[in-house]
Amino acid sequence: MENILKKLLNKPWIVIAVTIIISALLFMQMKQNSRMETDLDKYMPQDHPAFVYSDQAEEWFGINDGIIVAIENKNGIFNSATLDTLKQLTKRLQKMDEIEKADVTSLYTADNIIGTEEGMDVKAFYKRVPKSEEKLNELKHNVENNEMTFGRLVSYDETVTVIIAEIRDDVFTQEFYEEIHALADSYQTDDIKIHIAGRPIVEGTMALLGPADMMKMVPIVLLVITLVLFLTLRSVKSTLLTMAVVFFSVVWAFGLMATVNIPIYAVSTMIPVMLIAIGVADGIHLYSHLQLFLRENPDASKKEATLDMLQHMWKPVVMTSITTAVGFISLLTSQVYPIKYFGIFTAFGVLMAMVFSLVLIPAGIMIFGLPKVKKSKKDESNMETNLAYGFAAKILKRKSISIYVTAAIIILSIVGMQKIWINSSFLDKFEKDSEIVLTDKFINDHFGGTTTLNLILDSEGKKDVFKNPEPLKLVEKMQNQLENDLEVVGNSFTLTDYTKRMNKVLNADKEEFNVIPDSRDSIAQYLLLYEMSGDPENLNKVVDYDYAKLNVTFQLKSDNSKAINSAIAIIDSYEKDFEKQGISMNYAGSGYKGLIFTDLILEGQIMSLILSLIIVIILLSLMFKNYKIGLIGAVPITITALISFGIMGFLDIPLNTTTALLSSIAIGIGIDYAVHFIEQYRTNALKSDDMLLVAQKTMAHSGRAISYNAIVVIAGFLVLLFSVFPPNRELGALVSLNMFTSFVGTVTVMLVLLKVSNIYFKKTKS
Amino acid sequence: MKKLQITSVLIAIIFAIGFIPEVSGQSLTGEQIVEKAYNRATGDDQTSDLTMTLTNKSGNQRIRKIKQFTKDLGEVEKSIMFFLTPADVKNTSFMSWSYDSDQNDDQWIYLPALKKTKRISSDSKSDYFMGSDFTYDDLGDRKLEDDTHKLLREETIDGKACYVVESVSKDEDYMYIKTITWIIKDNFIGLKKEFYDEDEDLLKILSIKKYEEISGLLIITNSEMKNVQKNHKTSMVLNNVQINTSISVSKFTERMMMRGL
Repeated sequence: MENILKKLLNKPWIVIAVTIIISALLFMQMKQNSRMETDLDKYMPQDHPAFVYSDQAEEWFGINDGIIVAIENKNGIFNSATLDTLKQLTKRLQKMDEIEKADVTSLYTADNIIGTEEGMDVKAFYKRVPKSEEKLNELKHNVENNEMTFGRLVSYDETVTVIIAEIRDDVFTQEFYEEIHALADSYQTDDIKIHIAGRPIVEGTMALLGPADMMKMVPIVLLVITLVLFLTLRSVKSTLLTMAVVFFSVVWAFGLMATVNIPIYAVSTMIPVMLIAIGVADGIHLYSHLQLFLRENPDASKKEATLDMLQHMWKPVVMTSITTAVGFISLLTSQVYPIKYFGIFTAFGVLMAMVFSLVLIPAGIMIFGLPKVKKSKKDESNMETNLAYGFAAKILKRKSISIYVTAAIIILSIVGMQKIWINSSFLDKFEKDSEIVLTDKFINDHFGGTTTLNLILDSEGKKDVFKNPEPLKLVEKMQNQLENDLEVVGNSFTLTDYTKRMNKVLNADKEEFNVIPDSRDSIAQYLLLYEMSGDPENLNKVVDYDYAKLNVTFQLKSDNSKAINSAIAIIDSYEKDFEKQGISMNYAGSGYKGLIFTDLILEGQIMSLILSLIIVIILLSLMFKNYKIGLIGAVPITITALISFGIMGFLDIPLNTTTALLSSIAIGIGIDYAVHFIEQYRTNALKSDDMLLVAQKTMAHSGRAISYNAIVVIAGFLVLLFSVFPPNRELGALVSLNMFTSFVGTVTVMLVLLKVSNIYFKKTKS
Repeated sequence: MKKLQITSVLIAIIFAIGFIPEVSGQSLTGEQIVEKAYNRATGDDQTSDLTMTLTNKSGNQRIRKIKQFTKDLGEVEKSIMFFLTPADVKNTSFMSWSYDSDQNDDQWIYLPALKKTKRISSDSKSDYFMGSDFTYDDLGDRKLEDDTHKLLREETIDGKACYVVESVSKDEDYMYIKTITWIIKDNFIGLKKEFYDEDEDLLKILSIKKYEEISGLLIITNSEMKNVQKNHKTSMVLNNVQINTSISVSKFTERMMMRGL
C-alpha cells in the first residue's frame, strides 16, 4: 500500500489527469442518465405482504389518491357564478390527461336519488347552471337532504364545495402541479376562492420541494465549509484540494449510480450531505499532520513532507474509511431499496474519498507545492498546543467528571428516547403556516378529512356475504364508533351508506328507514335497483363484483401516524366479531402504506445500527489487535446515537425517513474521530511511557484535527437551519449536533477510557 | 302450416330486398341508411329469455337471467321484464314505456321485498340499462333526427359488405359526440358500432355476434357492448325468442309486475 502510494507520488500529473478524465466520463453519465424518482410507491418494497395486499385492493376498488379542489364562496355556494365555476372546473379536470374522466367527483357529476310518495327519482343535481331563485333553492334543498352529498361534497355551512379528482399512478410531475394551480387561479374571482389539497399534492410538493431546497442549500453549505476550511487550514491550495476530494467522490458516487441506471431517490439527496461531512475529514487530518510536521521541520522538501504524511497517515485514513463504509453497507439489511442504494453508494463515495485523499492530495502537493507555513503563526500554534496540552491534562485529572457526566447524559438520553415517536406524516414536514398546511386545515375544517384509510373486509372468496344484514350492521356499528369516538375521523363511507340511503328513499324518504334493512333480499334488491338507476361504477368502489369484499373508507383530518394508529386501534377491536362471521380484515391505501413503510425504515435502521456497531467493534478490535480498543472506540458512536435520539425525544422531533437515517452519520463520523485519535495515541505511546504526555501529544495532533473537522462541518450544516423545508432544517441541526457530540465524546470520555484501560502501557503502570 | 312459413319467409325476403330496387339507381345517403337500419322490422311483439353477463376488468362476472316481453304499440313501446336469477332478486320486475315523442320514458320497478311497485323517474336516456354498458339510447331509443348522418365509406367486415356511417349528435351536451356504425348493405343490420365520448375518444364498441331469422324476421340474439375506457363489457344473449305471439296489452301493467311469472 505504502509503496503504491509512493510510486504514484512520482507521477502526480498522471494521477490528476486520470482522475479528471474518469470524473468527466462519470459526469457525462450523470447528465444523461440521472433521473429523479418522485413516485413514492416506488420507494416501497413491492413484495412486502402489506403492500401486496394494498396494491391488490387498490386495483379491486380503484382506490386512488385524490386531488381536492375546493371552491369557496363566503356568501354561500348556491348561486349561478359559483355553480358555473364548479361545472367548468369539473369539466376541465375531466379533460386532463392525468385524470380519468370517471374519476372526477363533484356536485356536478353526482347523482341525486330522492324518494317521493309514489317512487324514486334519479337525477343529476344540475346539468345546466340554475339561474332562477326557485331553481337555486331547489338545488339547495336537494343537497341538504342527501346525506351522501351534504357534508361530503358541500360543506355543512354551504360556503365550500369540493371536486375530487383521482389521479393515476406515476403521473405527478412539476408541470402537472403547475397546470393544476394555473387552472385554479384562472377561476378565482373576488368572491370565489379556490384551494387545492390532497395527498398527491402534498406528496408531489414534498418530492419536488425537498430536493429543490437541498440543491439550493448544498452550494451554500459547500461555500461555508470551504470558507471555514480555509480559516482552519489557512491555505487556499489545501482548502481547494480537500474540497476537490469531496467533489470528486460525490461525482463518482452519482456517476456510478447513473451508469448502473439507478434513479435518484429523495434519500439519495442525503449522499452529498454524508460525503461532505465525512470526506473533508481525511483532508483535514492529512493537512493537519503535514502542518505539524512542517512546524517541526521547516526546511523539509515537499517530497519529504508528503512522504512523512503518507507514512503516518495512510493507515488511519484507510481504517476510518473502511469502518465508515462498512457502517453504511450495513444498511443493506433494510427492506427498503432506496435505503439499500443509499448505503451502497455512500459507502462507495466514502471509499473514493479515501482514495482521492491518499492520491490526489499528495499529487496536488507535488504539483502546486506545500501550503505556506507563516512564521507569524508561531505564537498561535504554541497557543494551540498549550491549549491542547492543558485540556488533555485537565480531562485526565478529572476523569471522574467525564465518566459521571457521560453516565448522566446516557441516562437522560434513554429517558428522552422513551418519548420518541414515529411519524409517517407528509404534512408535518411542512411549515405550520405554509400554504399547503393551511389549505389542508381549511378543508379538514369543512369536510370529513383529507387523509383516507381503507379497511378491506374479505369473506375469503365466499360470494354474496355483503348482501347479508349481519356483516353490514357490524360495519355500520364500527363506522359509528369511529366517527363518534374519534375527533380525527370525520367521515366514513361504504356499502352501508348506499343501503341506508336506498332504504330511506324507497320508503318515502322517512328518516326511520335510514337504517340497514333486516333481510338479505331487501338489500340485494335495493342494490340491484341502485345499479339500474344510479351509476353502477360507484358501487364498484365499495364492494367487489361478487359481494365478497368490502372497502370501507375512513376520512381522517390528519395524516399523522398517531391519528392513523388511533383509528386502527378501534377498527382492530372489531377483528374478532368479523372473524366469527368468516370475514378477515386488511388495510389499504397510501396512508396505511406510509405507516408500514416508516415502520420498515425504522426497523431496518435499528437493525443496521446494531449490526454496524457490532461490525465496527470487531473491525476496530482486529485493526488494533485488541478487543478493548474495539469497545472503547465504539463509545463515542454510542453516545452520539443515544444523545441524538434522546434530544429528538425531548424536543418532540418524531422519527421519520430523514431523521432515522441520521443515525448512520453518527456511526460514520464517530468512528472517524475515534480511529484517528486511537491510532495517534498508539503511535505516541510507542515512543513514550509518559501517559500524560502521550495524551497531550495526541490531543495536539488528532484532537486538533478532529476539532477542525467538527468546526468545519458544523459551520456548514448550520447553514441548513435557514432552509425553507423543515426536514432539511432538522437534518442540519442533527448533523451538527452529532458532529459536536462525537467530537466531545472522543476527546473526553474516550480519552479517559483509554487511560483507565491502560492499553499500550502494560509494562509500566503509572 | 308449412305454406304459412314459406309465405312469411317470402315476405321477409321481399321485405329485405324490397327496398333495393327502389334505391339501386341512386346511392343512399347516410341518413337514408340509418333510417332503414332504425326502421328495420323486428316484429310487433317479442318474448325471450335474456341472459345478461356483465364482466369487469378483472374478469369477474355477474350473470342475470331475465324473462322479457316487449310490444310495439306504434306511438309507444312497452316492455316488462322479470328477474329469474340470482335468487335474492327473483321476481323483481321492471317495466318501461317508451314513447316516440319527446316524452320521457315511464319506468316502474317492483321489489318483492318491498311488496310495492315504485315509479322511477329518470331525466336521461343516457342512463345505463340495468347497470350494463348499454344505455337506453343504445338499445334503440335514439331517434333519427337527433344526429346528422354522413356516409363515410363502404367496407367489408366479417365477410359482409357494409356502409360505414358517421352520426354526429346535434345536442352538444349529449354523452356521445359521434358514433360510427357499420351497417350491412343487404339487411341493414348494424353489425358494429363505435361510440365516441365528448373528447372524441373511443368509449364503447358494440359488436353483433349473432343474428337469427326468427319467424321470418332478423333478430339479433347475441351482442356485446364493450366499454374500452373502463374495460367493462356486457353480453346479451337471447334464447327462446318468439315473435308476434300477440301478447296482450294487459300484460304491461303494475298488477302484472307484482304477480310475477
